[in-house]
Amino acid sequence: MLVLMLEDIRKLVKKTLDGGKVDGVLGLWRENGRVGPHLFVKGDDVSMLEIDPKYNLASVAILALASGVKKIALIGRGCDERALVELFKRYQIDEDAIEFIGMACSVEQAKFCECDIPYPTKIQFGEKVKGVVPPQLEDVNEMSLDERFAYWRDVFAKCIKCYGCKNACPVCVCQDCVLEDPMWVKKGEIPPAFPMFHLIRAYHMADRCVQCYECEEACPMGIPLTLLYRQLRQDMKELFDYLPGASDAKPPLTTVLEDEKLEEGA
Amino acid sequence: MSYESVLTTCPYCGCGCQFYLQVVNGNIVGVVPDKTHPIAEGALCIKGWNAHVFVQREDRLQKPLIKENGEFREATWDEALDLVAKKLGEIKEKHGPDAIATLCSAKCTNEENYLLQKLTRATIGTNNVDHCARLCHASTVAGLAYAFGSGAMTNSVPEIDDSDVILITGSNTIEQHPLIGSRIVRARERGAKIILIDPRRVPMRLFSDLYLQFIPGTDVAWLNGMMHVILKEKLHDKKYIKERTEGFEDFEKVVKKYDPKTVEKICGIPANLLEEAARMFAKAERGSIFYSMGITQHITGTDNVKSVANLAMLTGNVGKRAAGVNPLRGQNNVQGACDVGALPNVYPGYQAVANEEAGKKFEKAWGTKLSREPGLTIVEITDAAREGNVKGMYIVGENPMISDPDIEHVRQGLEALDFLVVQDIFMTETAALADVVLPASSYAEKEGTFTATDRRVQRVRKAIEPVGESREDWKIIIDIAKRLGGKGFDFESPAEIMDELASLAPIYGGVSFDRLDAGEDLLWPVKEAGHAGTEFLHDGQFTRGKGVFSPIEFKEADELPDKEYPYILTTGRLMFQYHTGTMTRRTPALESESPNPFVEVNPEDAKELDIKDGDWLEVSSRRGSIKIQSRVVNIVGKGVVFIPFHYAEAAANVLTNPALDPDSKIPELKVCAVAMKPLTK
Repeated sequence: MLVLMLEDIRKLVKKTLDGGKVDGVLGLWRENGRVGPHLFVKGDDVSMLEIDPKYNLASVAILALASGVKKIALIGRGCDERALVELFKRYQIDEDAIEFIGMACSVEQAKFCECDIPYPTKIQFGEKVKGVVPPQLEDVNEMSLDERFAYWRDVFAKCIKCYGCKNACPVCVCQDCVLEDPMWVKKGEIPPAFPMFHLIRAYHMADRCVQCYECEEACPMGIPLTLLYRQLRQDMKELFDYLPGASDAKPPLTTVLEDEKLEEGA
Repeated sequence: MSYESVLTTCPYCGCGCQFYLQVVNGNIVGVVPDKTHPIAEGALCIKGWNAHVFVQREDRLQKPLIKENGEFREATWDEALDLVAKKLGEIKEKHGPDAIATLCSAKCTNEENYLLQKLTRATIGTNNVDHCARLCHASTVAGLAYAFGSGAMTNSVPEIDDSDVILITGSNTIEQHPLIGSRIVRARERGAKIILIDPRRVPMRLFSDLYLQFIPGTDVAWLNGMMHVILKEKLHDKKYIKERTEGFEDFEKVVKKYDPKTVEKICGIPANLLEEAARMFAKAERGSIFYSMGITQHITGTDNVKSVANLAMLTGNVGKRAAGVNPLRGQNNVQGACDVGALPNVYPGYQAVANEEAGKKFEKAWGTKLSREPGLTIVEITDAAREGNVKGMYIVGENPMISDPDIEHVRQGLEALDFLVVQDIFMTETAALADVVLPASSYAEKEGTFTATDRRVQRVRKAIEPVGESREDWKIIIDIAKRLGGKGFDFESPAEIMDELASLAPIYGGVSFDRLDAGEDLLWPVKEAGHAGTEFLHDGQFTRGKGVFSPIEFKEADELPDKEYPYILTTGRLMFQYHTGTMTRRTPALESESPNPFVEVNPEDAKELDIKDGDWLEVSSRRGSIKIQSRVVNIVGKGVVFIPFHYAEAAANVLTNPALDPDSKIPELKVCAVAMKPLTK
């Protein structure tokens, strides 16, 4: 099944490249025994194409397009599609520059990422599987406030300040990152002061986290970052009826509401 | 218009993480960690995430430089190489080959280090070739080779997942080997116990089941003390000792003297805590010891290493999966530089130069007569330079003006040379003293291999062309060798150099670029083409046959605190900087985290000195003094101070003691006596 799907994707990539409407197809390939991102261009051996493990290709698309190519196809998952939507909204990628080839995630992948929407809106390959709710979510929510504070304090004490969460995040696109501003977070400390470092980042993720799990995968210390961000996503949904990546509505935290008055002179 | 993603190996520590350099139109703009790599597993530390930043900095050395009347001027490659060959040739002619010494680089590839030691031995004709392993794990190579027959990590890093007790000493693992540190923390979450024994309350203390603080330089005493408890409570592995080891009786006699009360007086470790640690380790099914420079950088470095080996053998913890003795190597390729013979006493593959059979083998392979006389080590080389016995030096990718003990002494040595050529990627403090500076290429501009701390041979791949007119080190070394009349340097590629290395060093016998490029994980020994490599050493039998227990008595450090210099200075590194800062200080994301040198002072000492956090101090030893800001924090114990050695503006190594371990010639960088005087600004 999976093998068949992979073969079908390879065929489509070849066809897409031969068709000449795009300058390349961004996906993964197996080279030197390892799997990583690759921009396939005409003439590349598509039998090297792979679909596992999951890599964040939306960020790679920014780099690929920075080389000057006009249009690429991208073989992506639900989270890639959501990340792209956020990047379009934030003017990081021109919507016309990407042809999205959608692939649904396997049950295993959905479990690994604890993903509640493990498929794109437009599925060309694979079949929709059920979303996953992480079992710890309920545990954490049942804690008293003190217990919950202690829980987060302890998990964040593991942070070694690699900034991997920021670097791996497809929607962390600020030129100047407030996490690197000594006014907010003291420099050179491991672990960084609790709760500033992690709550600043969480706050900044509130209206943009597309739940791709990249931050948690990039964390060498295994901090359950998406558990926190997932709750923020829920709040965003309840308060603003907004789900990052799932709608083309403007991010509510960077806009004004319809009947909200701007301060004079603002 | 091009975007490329190039798989390569991180140039910082010995963890050996791999990542994809992101190359856009010839500029490296980022890294993506390899999710399929067994160490990185999709993660990196902050240095790894920023490992591309220094590569294309504007201040990279881009043209050869020749010093004239005290000033550097740009030169052509031919001019510079001709001058190097002429000068080295003249020194050899006039004073003999032993008047020349070379320093290899733990930052360069295996292939480059192989070539430089070959040039030194076969073309120049001396064994005066060494590198910074002398300053970090010379005592490991000596001590473990003596006890087990192989001086490297007995286990591979992924085995950490299956250890049930992990003892860490003299290693600030989370800061210095982050992806090993994180793995240890995750092992604990699955139930492993962590024992941390260290003079500093390093970040790992947060994840330790037991933390024992001790006075720097007293390692043998507490190690003997732990073993005393284990023997007294009969927790030792009698069957293992009988079947797999020798020398137990003499060892047992010595250890009997080190009861926990006696040890408490020497080390400052409460007797009950030492007993608890001893029991916890002895009861492990798979007990693994991780150590680093805290063990090795002492005049008793080799004794310390042998004592660690004693503890592992006493508890039956060598030669099995997830149990063993694991020295963590600090540089991306310090393991490899040792493996390929960048040491004055051994050829590639740890074959002794003094051994007639090994000598003949290499004479045949290289087609020339070779010296049977082991060469000088790093500190001996600078001493010999001061005394006028070494007249010419060729230093590749090392910065002894920051990294070596007693910098003033090093400067005098380098300045006394008739001729110094330095090959590097930036104008370092050492290159500034050179007569000729050759611009080399970084890891991102060449092909080759690095060997990670767990004996893992991995590929380095070219992502961009050499910056400016800089050249790959292996090509420069070949150019110099040929100009000196060297034979056997007709290599077209690093792959060919590896083939020659593999044919001469049995531990690399089956290593080839083809196998590595096919994705094989090769951990030496890799005996031949069909051999899969070795996950853990000494399975069933030690490399040398039986493991040897050593009876080791405690000896005090060379320089103890006294009235005049009342504090013990210990040195080390920080998470955000690396060694002499040549790369990290040019990387804003790293430099901005830790831009300033500091001396860590215990709050009680600060109170007695009447100083506050941030006050300026003059820290002096018998060798020199520096001005530096205090950091008052409960990390070092009372009476101990710590200074990171990265910073040229307040170099810790102005103060350190160059006294050497007699066996391995490693200097005592971890203990010297200092005085502190508050400065009124």
